[in-house]
Parts: sequence; structure tokens; C-alpha cells
Amino acid sequence: MPLWRTRTRSGSSGSPTGDEAVACDDVPVKTPRCDCCSGPAVFHDKKTARHLCREHFIADIEERVAETIRSRHLIVPGDHVVIALSGGKDSTALLMILARLLPSWDSVRLSAVTIDEGIAGYREDTIHSADQLVARYGMDHTSIPFTDLFGGTLDAFLKGREAEACSVCGILRRKALNVAAERAGATKLATGHNLDDEAQSVFMNVLRGDLPRLVRDSGSDSKGRFTPRIKPLMFVSEKEIAVYLMLHGAWADLPECPYAVHALRGEVRSMLATLESKHPGTMLHLMESKTRIEAQCAGRLDEEPVRHCRECGDPCSGETCQLCTLKKTLSQ
Amino acid sequence: MKIILPDKTSRETKAGPVTVEALVRDLGFDPIEVIVARNGTLVTEDAVVENTDEVRIIRIAHGG
Repeated sequence: MPLWRTRTRSGSSGSPTGDEAVACDDVPVKTPRCDCCSGPAVFHDKKTARHLCREHFIADIEERVAETIRSRHLIVPGDHVVIALSGGKDSTALLMILARLLPSWDSVRLSAVTIDEGIAGYREDTIHSADQLVARYGMDHTSIPFTDLFGGTLDAFLKGREAEACSVCGILRRKALNVAAERAGATKLATGHNLDDEAQSVFMNVLRGDLPRLVRDSGSDSKGRFTPRIKPLMFVSEKEIAVYLMLHGAWADLPECPYAVHALRGEVRSMLATLESKHPGTMLHLMESKTRIEAQCAGRLDEEPVRHCRECGDPCSGETCQLCTLKKTLSQ
Repeated sequence: MKIILPDKTSRETKAGPVTVEALVRDLGFDPIEVIVARNGTLVTEDAVVENTDEVRIIRIAHGG
């Protein structure tokens, strides 16, 4: 049993899972106190200098996610929200928080879908974790393996081209999630992208000089062509997500994707983590910059005409979609 | 102080009393990439750990 599953607190903040939670009432003298209730602090937000105890930290995270959803109209009455559940920490937290918030929305339905890319030594654990989570919540859940959609595993496709892993996987996963959302009858596809992911994307698009992609939003960009994607955790940091899971006894020590080492994102992640550590708020400032640039660019960028892939008919910007172009180069 | 590292190995040190942040940096980690439990309880980076404590350092895996 891991250390953080030591005891259950009665009368806690209302864990959606009812799981065992981290003990936090053994209070040595040198423990900072919660700014809201003077209980023992479990999280220190360096940007705001706030200390929060378990209960106030959990309430703060859930309220911030609710506010993101509310202010951006991410979920509206009647929505069927399909959660892209990999079983890793971000999508696990996303499912837990959305399930917690569900009673506050009118006529909204949640379900989950898992894409099995076929990454040996990595996906087995996260898929097992996803299965356990949806079973606990009694949530509808479907799994779609790459082999069913594309005729092979990601491992097989990447032999000899590991350095392209993230772009290859990204194209295949995007298609797989679109298919899954369509099959499920989803009106929204919710992904677990967190503040770190979003800030990294902003930075990478700046580094690439890709202004259209910088201001493009995956939800508003769908224009009816695909199920709109929403990112309710976009203002919650990776560390906050880890603490949230740990406080609910839902943290699992899962492996990292073996292909992550090849990605430009890995370098950007490391750089931004260092900056955030030295200058708290860096990631949020990047997101604010993006919002300002979006406002400045609104209506000024030439819209790409919607075309249809001459091979598969999917909407795309060129003559052939990225997936069909990629498929020609994949080894089986 | 017993320190349990992310790879599950452990070591003893007499570094305390020291802040969690100083300890973590001394061990070569960036505090933003780890979470620390003191005697089974999550603590903040400005909390203090003593030589009698068991300190567990958990690395936040990326992705998911």
C-alpha cells in the first residue's frame, strides 16, 4: 500500500470517489497553514503565495474547472460529453472532476473512450487504470485499438522512425478520437490537456512561427466538421492535478510514454518548468499572451478554405489529408 | 532522515532541519516536477523536514 493511502478523513470535502485520502492531521510545528482555515497546508501556490489545506485545495481546483467551463461555454445543457480517457493522470482527474460537477448541469451526459495505440510496456497499465476508473463510476466506456482502425500498432508503425513518434501518433490519435466521438454520438470531446500542455503548445507555436495554429482553437475550429474538443483543465497545472489525485487516493505511479524523449515538446517542457520554477506564473502569462494575440487577430487572418481529402473525403486544408499522406508511409 | 526517491531507492541523511524545497533541489530535482510526502502526509515546498522524518519524493510523470 503506498504511503499516501494511509487513512480516510471523515467529513472531508466530498471526494467524488469516496476513496481513501492522504492523511493530513498529523501536524508537526513546521507545517505552513491554510490561508482559508489555518489547517495544515498541502499546496503552496507560489504565484499567489496562497497556502491551501486538503479541503480548500480540492474545492479551489473544482471551482476553477467549473469557472473555465462556465465562462467559455464548454458544456451546455443537452451535451453528451465524451471524455478521452487514456488512464493517465490528466484524463483520470478530468473524469473525476467532471463527474463531481455533473449534478450542477442540466441534462448533460458523460461517457468515456480509450484509444489503445499499441505501445508495449506503457499502455497496458494505463488502460487497466482506465478500466478500473470507469467501473468505479459506472460510466459507459468504449475502447478502440489502432489495430482496428489502422491495421497495426503504433510500435509497428514507428520502427525506424521513432523521432517522428509524436507527430505520427498525433495524426492517428486525432482520427481515432474523432471516430470514437462520432460513434458515441458525442456533442463534445473532452481532453485532459492541462496548463503545462497548453503553455508548451503556445511556446512551440511561437518557436515555429505558426501564427494560425497559435490562435486556432480546437473547439471553435471544428466548424461542424468534427466533434468540438474542450479542455476543462487548461488552467490547472500538472502539479495541481497530481496533488488532486494524490489527495483522493487516486494517484497511480504510471510509466511515461517511451516515445516522449524524442519530442521537441520534451525540451520545451523542461525549459518552461525551469522558468516557472524561477518565475512563478510564467505559464499563465503565456496563456494570457495567447488570449491577447487571439483578440488582436480576430477576423484578420485569412481563413483556410475547407476542402475534402481526395482519398478519404475527410475535411482538410490541402488536397490530401494528413492521415492519408501518413498512411502511405507506414510500415505494417 | 530517510529519503525515498522516485525510483524507490532510499537513503539516509542528516540534512535536517531543512525546507522541502532546499532538500529537493539538493537532491537534483526541480520542485515543480515532484511532490513530497513527509511521514505519509503531503507537504508544501516551504514546510520543514527533520532528521527523524521519512521523506518520500514522487516524480510527476508527464502525459496522460
